[in-house]
Parts: sequence; C-alpha cells; structure tokens
Amino acid sequence: MQNTARHPANSIRRLIKRDWREWLVFLAFAGPNVALFAIFTYTPLINNLLLSFSDWNMISADKNFVGLQNYVDIINDSQMGKVLLNTVLFTSSSVLLVLLLGLGGGLLLNQKLRGRNAARSILFTPNILSGAAIAIVWIYIFDPRFGLIYTVLKPLGIDSPKWLTDPNWALPAIVIVYVWKYLGYATVIYIAGLQAIPGDLYEAARVDGASAWMRFRHVTLPGLSPVMFFLILTSILSSFQSFDIINVMTKGGPVNATNTLIYRLYELGFINFAIGRAGVIGMVLFVMMFAVTLLQLRYLDRQVSYA
Amino acid sequence: MNKKVTRRDLLKGIGFGVGAIALAACAPAATTAPTAVQPTNAPAAAQPTTAPAAATGTTTVTYWGFSGALGKTEDDLVAKYHAKQTAVKIDRQVQGSYEETAQKLTAALAAKTAPDMVLLSDVWWFKFYRAKALLPMNDLAATAKIDSADFVESLWKEGVRQGNQYWIPFARSTPLFYYNADMFKAAGLPDRGPKTWTEFSEWAPKLVKMDGSTMKVAAFAGLAAASYSAWVFQCVNWAFGGSYSSPDLKITLLDPGTIDASQFYTDLVNKKQLASTPKDVQKDFTTGLTATALLSTGGLTGILKDAQFNVGTAFVPEEKAVGVCTGGSGLTILTGTAADKATAAANYIAYATGNEGGEFWSQNSGYMPVRKSTVSSATYQKFFADHPQAKTAVDQLPRTRPQDAARVFIPGGDQILGKGLDRIVVGKEDIKAVWTDIAAQLEKEAEPVRKDLATLGG
Repeated sequence: MQNTARHPANSIRRLIKRDWREWLVFLAFAGPNVALFAIFTYTPLINNLLLSFSDWNMISADKNFVGLQNYVDIINDSQMGKVLLNTVLFTSSSVLLVLLLGLGGGLLLNQKLRGRNAARSILFTPNILSGAAIAIVWIYIFDPRFGLIYTVLKPLGIDSPKWLTDPNWALPAIVIVYVWKYLGYATVIYIAGLQAIPGDLYEAARVDGASAWMRFRHVTLPGLSPVMFFLILTSILSSFQSFDIINVMTKGGPVNATNTLIYRLYELGFINFAIGRAGVIGMVLFVMMFAVTLLQLRYLDRQVSYA
Repeated sequence: MNKKVTRRDLLKGIGFGVGAIALAACAPAATTAPTAVQPTNAPAAAQPTTAPAAATGTTTVTYWGFSGALGKTEDDLVAKYHAKQTAVKIDRQVQGSYEETAQKLTAALAAKTAPDMVLLSDVWWFKFYRAKALLPMNDLAATAKIDSADFVESLWKEGVRQGNQYWIPFARSTPLFYYNADMFKAAGLPDRGPKTWTEFSEWAPKLVKMDGSTMKVAAFAGLAAASYSAWVFQCVNWAFGGSYSSPDLKITLLDPGTIDASQFYTDLVNKKQLASTPKDVQKDFTTGLTATALLSTGGLTGILKDAQFNVGTAFVPEEKAVGVCTGGSGLTILTGTAADKATAAANYIAYATGNEGGEFWSQNSGYMPVRKSTVSSATYQKFFADHPQAKTAVDQLPRTRPQDAARVFIPGGDQILGKGLDRIVVGKEDIKAVWTDIAAQLEKEAEPVRKDLATLGG
C-alpha cells in the first residue's frame, strides 16, 4: 500500500487493472445471457419493428418502406375489433380460472391426504404434454355426437353443445382446454407458496382466536401474494401467446370466434404472407405485454407482502 | 493428483467455451440435407438404367412431398422408381400439409436451403412463380421426354405462364359428389347422384334423420373449417352462374350468381335444416353422419377403405350451368437447383406422371390420372371396371375448368373466401355485407399480385 501511495500513476493503473478484472467477471457471468437475449429476443424485436414498416412478402427481392401504411391497414382491418375482444376475453377468463382453481387445488393438495403425491402428479401431467397433442384429444372429447362430454350429458337428457363448430361455444371450449393444461402448474406453484408460510403465524392466529376463514384471509392470502403476483404475470403473458391449442382445434374459427392476436398474426404472416401487417400485430402484442408487465410491477408489487 | 479448480480456471474455461460456440455459430452451415433412409422394400440390385444420359454416378434430388397416408403411397412410388433405375435417387422429405410446405419453402428460400423439387398445391405454386423461384421447365420436360400433348389439356395448361411450364400436374383432383348408396336405397331414391341442386333439394328431406331437435343424419355436408370450403363452394357458385373473380382478377363476389349460390348454401343449413357444418366432412361421411358430401377425388381411396356402406360417386350437381373446378397439386423445380439435379428431377417427374408411375399413383391414391394414354390403357380400363367410383372422376374431367383467380392467385385467398362463407353459413350474417367486406380484403391482397404480374408480363 505504501508503494502505491507514493506513485499515483501506479495506483491508477492498478485501479484500472482491478476494474478491468471486475468487468471481465461481470462479462463472464452476464455475457452469455445478454448475448442470448440480444440474438434471440432483441434482434428479432428490432427486425420485427423494421418489417412492420415494409411491404415485404417474405420471399420477393422487393422490400419497400411504406411508412405507417401497415398500421393504418391494421386499424382499418374489419376483423381487428373481434380479434382484440377475443384476446381480452380469452386472457382474462383463462387467467382468472387458472388462478382461482389453482388456489383451490393448491389448498386441497397441501392437506395431508392419502394419495396426495399421485394427485399432484396427475394434475401436473397436462402441463408437460404438448399443446398440439392435448388439442387433438380434446377435439374427440368435445365431439357433439360421440365425444366424452356427449356421453356424460346424454343420460342427463342434455344435448352436447357443438363446441368447436358453434361460434358461441368455441371460445369457452378453448378456455377449458387451456385451463386444464395450465392448472397443474399453478397448483404446484401455490403449494410451494403455501409451504413457505411459517407455521407459527397460523399458531399465533389460532391462539388469538382467529377462525379458519380469518386465518385464510389474514395469513394465507398475504403469504401467497408473491406467488400470486408471479402467477398473474406469467399466466397473462403465456395466454397472450397461446397459439398451439387454437391452431389445432379451431384455426381461429368458427367465424373468427377464437381468432386472437397471436393467431391473426399467424394468418397475416404465414397464410397471406403480408409480413408487414403481421409485424404490426407483433408490435401491438409487444406493447400490450410490456404495459401489463409495467402495470403489474408498479401497482401490484406494492401490495405484495414478502413475509 | 487432486487439482482444485480456481476461479481463474473457471473463467478461462467459460472463455474457451463461449469462443468455441461463437466459432461454431460462424462456421458455414452444411448445405446438403442428410440422406434419408431408403425404403427397405427397394431391391438392392440395380436394374438396367433408363435415366439421364449424362449421369455418371447417382444424382440425389431432394424432394418435399406428401405427408400422412398419401405420403406412404408416394414412398412406394419413389421405391418403384428406385427399383427401375439407379442414376437418380429421390430423397423424399415430408414438411406437412400443403400450407406447411409453402411456409417452410418460403423460409428455406430466404435461408438458401431450398430443396430441388417441391409438390405445391393449386393455391400455392403461383406465389413462388411470382417470386421467380420456379424453374421454367419446357426444355427440361423435352429432355426428359415428358409429352405435354399426352396430358389432359386443361390440367397441363394451368401450370403454363408466358408459354413456359412451371407446374406439372401430378396429384390432380376435382370435387366429387359422394353419396351413401345404402341410405339412398332406404329413402327410396335412385342409385345415382342428383342432376341438379334443385333435384337434390327435393331429395334431401328424405335423407335427414332427426332425434327431437337434434340432426342425427344430415342430407349434405360441405363446409368444414375455413380452409378448402371455398374450393368446394366454387362448384356450387359456378352452377348458380356466379364466380369469385374474373380471370384478370376482378373480384365478382357481389354478382347475382354468387349471391344466389350463397343463399342456397346457407338455406340448406339454416332455413331448411338439411345440411350440417361438421369439423371434418370426410369423417362425417364415412361414419354415416351425413348422407352426401362434396369431397375431393383425392379422398376416394380413404373413403372406400373407411366406409362400412356402399359408396356412390356422381358428378357435382349442376343448376343453371355446369360447375366443376380442378384442384390438387403439381410438381415444381426450384430456380436454385443445379443443372444435373434439375435434369434428374425432370426424369423423376416423367416417371411419376408417366404411364407406369402415374397409373400406380392414381390407382393407389384416388387422384386422377393426368395422362390420356394412362386412362385409355387396358390395365386402367380394368381398374375402372373393378372400381366404378374412380371412373366417375375421370368421366367428369371434361366438365372441369380452371379455378377463379381470386382463390388460387391471391395468397391466402382460399382462406379469406372460406372465412366469408363461414360467416354467412355458420355466423348467419348478411350475405351482401359479408361479400362486400371480403371483396375489400381480396382487393387489398390482390395489389401485390397485380404489381408482380405487370412486371412478369403475366
């Protein structure tokens, strides 16, 4: 130390050297992640933004800048209103159901019941299956003339709805399949959250004479809030992007009843090959998801108690 | 020796690892696709070759073809070709449906990894022609002795632009009127298809079976999801004097004929409650949930296999006019293909569409024979005698005409029209309002097509 004090130039050099080494460590840890994000997320995002201003058809050598024309076209697209409404309905109902049913499942399977582990596994299985495979199985379950639901409803004297060919039933059908697939995931996360709540809080509440409902309301729910926050965020984002089930089961139909933003993006981009307009929908999705994330970080985070 | 890994070692290791990955990422990608496994039923012993004269070894042609059950039949066709000669090897790869093949070809062209030869459907080949991705095949066809005069003229002409052949007919089809002959008999109807849609409307009430308010058996099913319903409806539309567009791409959806045909179609389902709109028309027909259906000739083999009843086939009913369109797919060679591979591909096309290959293919798939000499051959006449249902398709061929440009030349046109039909029949929306909206959408998508055609000269 004496040495460095006497030679300021030396000390700066050493400081730079130490800094350089710290930068290297930082790069080694953050670099791969940043590089992956740059290659697979930021570059496509920027490219998508650029494409949204072009008239490219993904194949022609012609790629002209058309300014905001694609944005104008999307605003004037007669199907957009329905598509946005479908997206909001699908996302809100599927997220709400996943959160509520998942909470129920979590509370139930957190009890010391016989066969609990088996039940947890069964509930989680749909989550690891491919969405396309699940969708094909559900096409059979929903079939109004020989499907499983028809078989169950028939003895009760109830006609099975024409799930996938009736515009009023198609979206609920898609929501059912989506919830069935993601319920297990939410349940498992809830169980983890429930197990992280300290047991002495319940004991203290019990000593104070709190009823089961009050224990749930004042201990369980606040204790679960970080988990719920996480689940709301991830469910909204993933339901926005849900494409596989819709593509296999309904292809956005009947009569656009299940056409959501992500499916409309596919139609415009890969059926009509109007990649510019598909790019606009990509940007709309990006902005919506970004807004949801910001809103949640800003407002929801405050009410989360990290007990 | 037990050496402890230090932080420095770890960093070095990571550095090397990242470097190696970066290097690997920069290295040129392999351009040749891995060789597919040969079908095991192909004989190993080489037979006298009839293949390209210039070939000194085996030329491998990468080919994207059919998937599913038709893919298996095509595998057999390729195996037969391999058994006949050894100079050309077809590396048949499967990309999925027509739509998926077109999507993947688009990506492959951008990545410069396109195959040599691709099967493209009626609604997709034109998009690649517009992008100048397809090779004009006149000279290749002449070298490979593909005799254009022997092809069914209407089918051959569809792939010609500016005097050059870009799309050679291979798996070509038309819609066919399929009927459940057992149900017809039980209803006291003659064992033939209805001559007109009016006659069909008279027959239909006898075929419907109701269980309370639920339709157990429909008289007709013709509208599935948005995809391909516009193909089938095109026939009905033409029969009523309508059309989707003129040959020069003028959208004609609001002409009285189209309005009448749409009204007839939606009335069958909604007002008269004679027809159903199932998810899978073919499945409904083979399981007896509908007495009749308009389906592709390409489905014939599958239908005869699955149906547990006597299947009848008939011409598509007429009304004011005859309305039968062509459909299906053809073979194309891509512009990036090396000369020797293009020659080899043309040699395969000559076999697959020729008498031996074409006969095997159409008899086993249900698609129509594309050559006149194939149809008139003795073996084919015997096949017709054993399979009268297949004969209907060939007999109907002279009644066909090429499809409306709006469906086949506009990218996504088929699905845009299908969605309109869906809104009218399933959504019960106002016919004129829907077609006005759909016409606007088609006009929008037609802009780049018109622009390209002006550049290409047609």
